[in-house]
Amino acid sequence: MQQIKRTKPKTYRSPDASIFYSVGIVLLAFVVLTFIVSLFATPYSPDATDAASKLLAPCPAHPFGTDNFGRDVLSRVMSASKYTIFISVAGVAISLILGTVSGIPAGYFGGLADRGIMLLGNSIMCFPGILLALVAVAVFGASVTNVIWALGLVFAPTFARVCRVGTMEIKELDYITHARVMGVKPLRIMTLHIFPNLVPQLLPATVIGLANMTLFESGMSYLGLGVQPPDASFGKMLSDAQAYIRVAPWLIVFPAMMLVFYILGLYFISEGLRVTLSKGGKR
Amino acid sequence: MQGKAGYFVGKLIELLVTLLLVSLLVFAAFSIIPGDTARVMLGPDASQAQVDLLRAELGLDRPLVIRYFSWLFGLFTFNPGTSYAYNMSVGELIAQRLPVTIGMSAVAMIMVILISYPLAVISARKPGRAGDQICSVIGHILFAIPPYVASLLLILLASSVFSLMTAGTYVKPSDDFAGYIGCLLLPSFAIALPKIAMSFKFLRSSIIEQRTADYVRTSKSHGLSDLKILVRHVLPNSNVSSITIISIILSDILGGSLIVEQVFNLPGLGRLLLSAISRRDFPLLSGIVFYLAFITVILYFISDIAASLADPRIRLK
Repeated sequence: MQQIKRTKPKTYRSPDASIFYSVGIVLLAFVVLTFIVSLFATPYSPDATDAASKLLAPCPAHPFGTDNFGRDVLSRVMSASKYTIFISVAGVAISLILGTVSGIPAGYFGGLADRGIMLLGNSIMCFPGILLALVAVAVFGASVTNVIWALGLVFAPTFARVCRVGTMEIKELDYITHARVMGVKPLRIMTLHIFPNLVPQLLPATVIGLANMTLFESGMSYLGLGVQPPDASFGKMLSDAQAYIRVAPWLIVFPAMMLVFYILGLYFISEGLRVTLSKGGKR
Repeated sequence: MQGKAGYFVGKLIELLVTLLLVSLLVFAAFSIIPGDTARVMLGPDASQAQVDLLRAELGLDRPLVIRYFSWLFGLFTFNPGTSYAYNMSVGELIAQRLPVTIGMSAVAMIMVILISYPLAVISARKPGRAGDQICSVIGHILFAIPPYVASLLLILLASSVFSLMTAGTYVKPSDDFAGYIGCLLLPSFAIALPKIAMSFKFLRSSIIEQRTADYVRTSKSHGLSDLKILVRHVLPNSNVSSITIISIILSDILGGSLIVEQVFNLPGLGRLLLSAISRRDFPLLSGIVFYLAFITVILYFISDIAASLADPRIRLK
C-alpha cells in the first residue's frame, strides 16, 4: 500500500516563468544598456590605439584591460554590442517577414504551392550551421548588409514552418469557416484573423531566432566573414585575442561574457514565454 | 506491409528531390557570381584569346544547363571538377580532409550520448530536486555558449590550469590512432557542450512526460522494478523523439565543427572551405558545400526511417 502511494506519479511543474523572465531581463538589460550608452559615449574611442598602454590587465583606467594595439577593451566591447544587436534584430525582421509571407499562405491554401514552399524551405535547412550564410557572403562579399540578408534567408524557413503549422490548425476553427462563409477575402482572413493568433507561437520563435542569429553572426565574424575590421564585433575580437590567450586572457573573457549574456538572456526570456504560453494547455 | 514499403519509397523520393534541389541551389549560387572566372584567374593583362582558351578548358563556354548536368554527374561519381587553387581533383581534396571533420563529429556525438543520457535519466528520476535544478541551470548556460567560445575557454583552462597545450597539433589516424582521437578530444568536447545541454533538456522532459503515463503505473502495479520500467518501457518511448533530436544535433555538430577546426588549427573541411572562400576557388567551394549538405540530407533520411521503425504511428501521418 505504502509502495503504491510513494510511486504515484507526481505531476511535475516546471519552474515559475517569472524566474526565467527576471534572470533573462537582467542579463539582456545589461547588454542593451551597454549598447544604449555606447551610442552616446564610450570611455575611449574604440579604434584609438595607444602604444604606451598595450596589453594592460584590467585596472581602474581600463576596467576591461587593453588589447595588443593598446585599444580599450571596454570601449570596443561597447561598440561591438551595437553590431550584435543590430544584425540580430534586422536579420530576424527579414526572416520573420519572409517566413510569415510564405508560411501563412502555404498553410492556408495548401496544395502544390505549399509543397513547393516547404520543399524549398527544407532544402535550405539541409545546409548545416552557418554553411549557407558563409557561401552567400563568399559570393556577394563580406559586409554587414550581406550578413543580415544571408542570415535572414537562412532563418526564414524556421518561421515559415511555425506559421504554416499554426495556420493549418487555426483555419479549421469555426470562426475562420464563418468568416469564409461571410465572404471575407482570403487576404483579409490571413492578415486579420490568422496572423494575430499566430503571435503566441511566433513570439518565442522570434526570441530564440535572435539568440541563434547572434550565434551565427559571431561565428561568421570570428572566421573573418562577418563584420569587417576596423569595426569591432565580439567574434572578431575573440579571434584576434586568440594569439594572446595566455598573456591576456581578459581579451577573451570580456567579449565572451557579453556575447553569452546576450544569448543567455534571450534564451531565458524565450523559456519564460514558453512556460507562460503553454499554461493554456498545449504540451 | 504495404504502408511500410510505401512510406519508405515516399521518403526516398523526397530524399532525391531534396538532393536535386540542394544541388540546384548550390549551382545557382555559384552561377550568379559577378565577373568572369577565367578573366579573374588570368589577371587583367591576359589577351582575350588566352581567356577564351581557359574558358574552354574549364568548360565555362558551354550552356548553363549542360554545365549543371555535367557537374551533377560529377558529384555522384565523386569527381565534381578541379580546384583552381590546388590544381587537384575536388573529390580527392575533400577525401583528404574528411577524416578530421567526420572523426570530430563522431567523437562529439559519442560524448553527447554518453553524458546526456545518464544525466537525463538521473535528473528525471526526481524532477525538481536540487541535483536536477543544478543540471538544468548548467544546461541553460552551456546552451548559450557558442562552440568556438567554448573552445577558447577550454584552451584557456587547459593551458593555464592544467598547463596542457593541445591546439595546433594534428595526428593522422594512419600514424597513431590513439593520438588522432586524443587531438580531437578537446575540440569535440567544445562542440559537444551545447548539444549535451540540448539533448539533456529534451530527453529529460520526454522521460518526465513518459513517467506519468498510465502504462508506467500499470507496470508498477504488476510488480516491475523501477529500473526495468525505465529500460524496457520509458526509454524506448523517449527514443522516438530523441532520434529526431539526434539527427538535428548531428547536423549542428557538423556545422559547428567547421568553425571549431579553425580555433584548433585542425586540417579539416572547415579550413578547406575557408581557404576556398578566400581564394575564390568556386569548384572546390561548391563541392564542399554540396557534400556537407548531402551528408545532412542522408542523416535526416536515416532518422526519419529510424523514427518510423521505432514508432510505426509516424507512418500514418
